[in-house]
Amino acid sequence: MNNAIETHDLAYRAGKHFEIAGLGLTVREGSMYGFLGPNGSGKTTTIRLLLGMLRPRRGTISMLGRSVPRDMPEILGETGYVPERPHLYPYLTVSEATRLHAAFYRSFDAAYAADLQRRFGLRADHRISHLSKGEVGKLHVLLALAQRPRLLILDEPTDGLDPVVRRDVLAALVDFCSQGTTTVFISSHLVHELERICDWIGILDEGNLVAELPMAEFKNGIKRLRVVRAPAVVTGAPFVVLSREPSDGEQTWVVRGWEPRMAEWLSTANAELREVVDLDLEEGFVELLRVSRVPAA
Amino acid sequence: MYRQILYVQWCALRLPVVLLGVLAFALPLLTVTYGGGLEGAPPGQVAQWLYAAQQIGQLVPYVAMLAGVLLGIGSWAPDHAGKHVYALSLPVTRARYVWLRFAAGTTLLLVPVTAIGIGALVATVSVRLPSGVHAYPLALTARFLLASFVCYAIFFTIAISTRRAALAVLGGIGGLLLADAVLWGFGVGATVTPTVFMWLTNWPGPLSILIGRWALFDV
Repeated sequence: MNNAIETHDLAYRAGKHFEIAGLGLTVREGSMYGFLGPNGSGKTTTIRLLLGMLRPRRGTISMLGRSVPRDMPEILGETGYVPERPHLYPYLTVSEATRLHAAFYRSFDAAYAADLQRRFGLRADHRISHLSKGEVGKLHVLLALAQRPRLLILDEPTDGLDPVVRRDVLAALVDFCSQGTTTVFISSHLVHELERICDWIGILDEGNLVAELPMAEFKNGIKRLRVVRAPAVVTGAPFVVLSREPSDGEQTWVVRGWEPRMAEWLSTANAELREVVDLDLEEGFVELLRVSRVPAA
Repeated sequence: MYRQILYVQWCALRLPVVLLGVLAFALPLLTVTYGGGLEGAPPGQVAQWLYAAQQIGQLVPYVAMLAGVLLGIGSWAPDHAGKHVYALSLPVTRARYVWLRFAAGTTLLLVPVTAIGIGALVATVSVRLPSGVHAYPLALTARFLLASFVCYAIFFTIAISTRRAALAVLGGIGGLLLADAVLWGFGVGATVTPTVFMWLTNWPGPLSILIGRWALFDV
C-alpha cells in the first residue's frame, strides 16, 4: 500500500524553546490518521511543514507520492486543508468565498458544495465576518470537502465548537470518507473525538513522535496491571512496560501490546498477576505522554 | 483565478478606490470651475487663471501617490490579516499568486486613472481656451498612470516583503537621519538625506515622475 504522507528525519526549530527533531510520520493511503498531542506539542507546526508553509531545517516530506516543497502546487491541488484558526477573508459572503475557492481547484464539486451548505445551514449571502465560530468552521470544512481531495488535512477542526456543530462536522467528514478513498489526517487534542473516527493514531509530544500505531492496537493493547512480587528488572517481556509504580506491596504497571496469554510470562518471572484493567484511549494517551517525558524505570 | 482575485481585491478596497476615483475625476474639473469664457480675456486674467490651474495641478501627484500607496498596501492587507495561511494553501506557486495580486491591484489602479482621464477630457471640452494656452489631458492622464503605478509597485513590494526587509528599509532611513545628525554635530556642512531625496526625485530617480509640472492647462 502506498503512503499518502511520509516524512523522514524532519527537523524544525521555532525560537529557543520549541523544536521538532527527527520526525518520521507514515500515513497510509485511505486511512484516517489521528494526530494526537497536547497543546503546544507541534501539531500545527507539523501540518504547516507538510503543506510547505514552513521550511524544515532537515529531512524530507513526501505527500501523495510527490515531494514537498518541489511539487507543492500539484500536491495542494489534491489536498483539502482546514486550518486551526479561520483564515478566510472576512468581508466575503459564503457564496463569494465558495466561488473564490472553486476557481483554484479543478476538482471542485459545486453541487456537493451547495448540498453541504444546505446541510450545514449556511446562508449564501451571509458575510463571513457575521458568521459564528461554528459556522466559519463548517464553511472551512465545506470548502475542503467540496474540493473532492485525495488527502484531507484537518487541524483541530472542531476545537472550540459546541457539541452540535462538532457532531455535524464529524458526520459530514465520515460521510465524505465513506464515499471514496480519501486519506484523512486529523489533528486534535480531543482524544475521544479521534477514537470514534480514526483507524491509525500518531501521538506527538514536545515535537517528538511518541507512538504511531493502528487505533485498534492502541485501544486494546494498553492495560493497567496489578502485579505482586514484580521482578526488579523487566527483560524479555512480550509487552512494553510504559510505567511501573509501587503501591501497597504490589506494583501497578501500565503496559502496551498486552494479550491475555502474556500472563504466563509473569508466572515464569515468579510474579503474580492480580488484575488486568482496560484503559480507555485518554488514559492510554496520558500514560504514553508521561512515559515519553520520564523514561520507565 | 484572476477574475476571482480581482473581485476579492475589489471587495476589500472598493471604498478607497471609489473615493480616489471621485477625487481624480474632480481635480481637473476644479481647474475650470472659474475658467469658462477666458477667450479674449486680458492677459493678466489668463495668467492668474493659469497660476490657479497649476496650483490645483500640484495636488494631482499627491492623489497619484495616495492611490499607489493605498492600493499597494491594501492589496496584501487581507492576506496579512490571515497570516497568509489561506493564500499559501492554494494550489498555485507563490510567484503566481503574487502576480495575480499585483495584476488585480494594477487593474484597480485603472479606476482613478480612468477617472482623471475622463475628468481631464470633460474639463478640456468645457472651457474655451485663450490663444496660446493648450490643454494636455492625455499627458496628464499618462503621467498620473505612471506616477501612481510607480508608487503602487514600490508599496506593493514593501507590503509583501518580510519583516526583516521592512526593518532594513526603516533602518536605512534611520541611518540617513542619524548620519545627518552626526554631520550636523561635527559642524560639517554636507547633509545626506537631501542628497538621497534629490537622487530619488530627479531623473533618472524612481520618484522623478512625481516632480515637475502637472498642469492640465499650460502655454
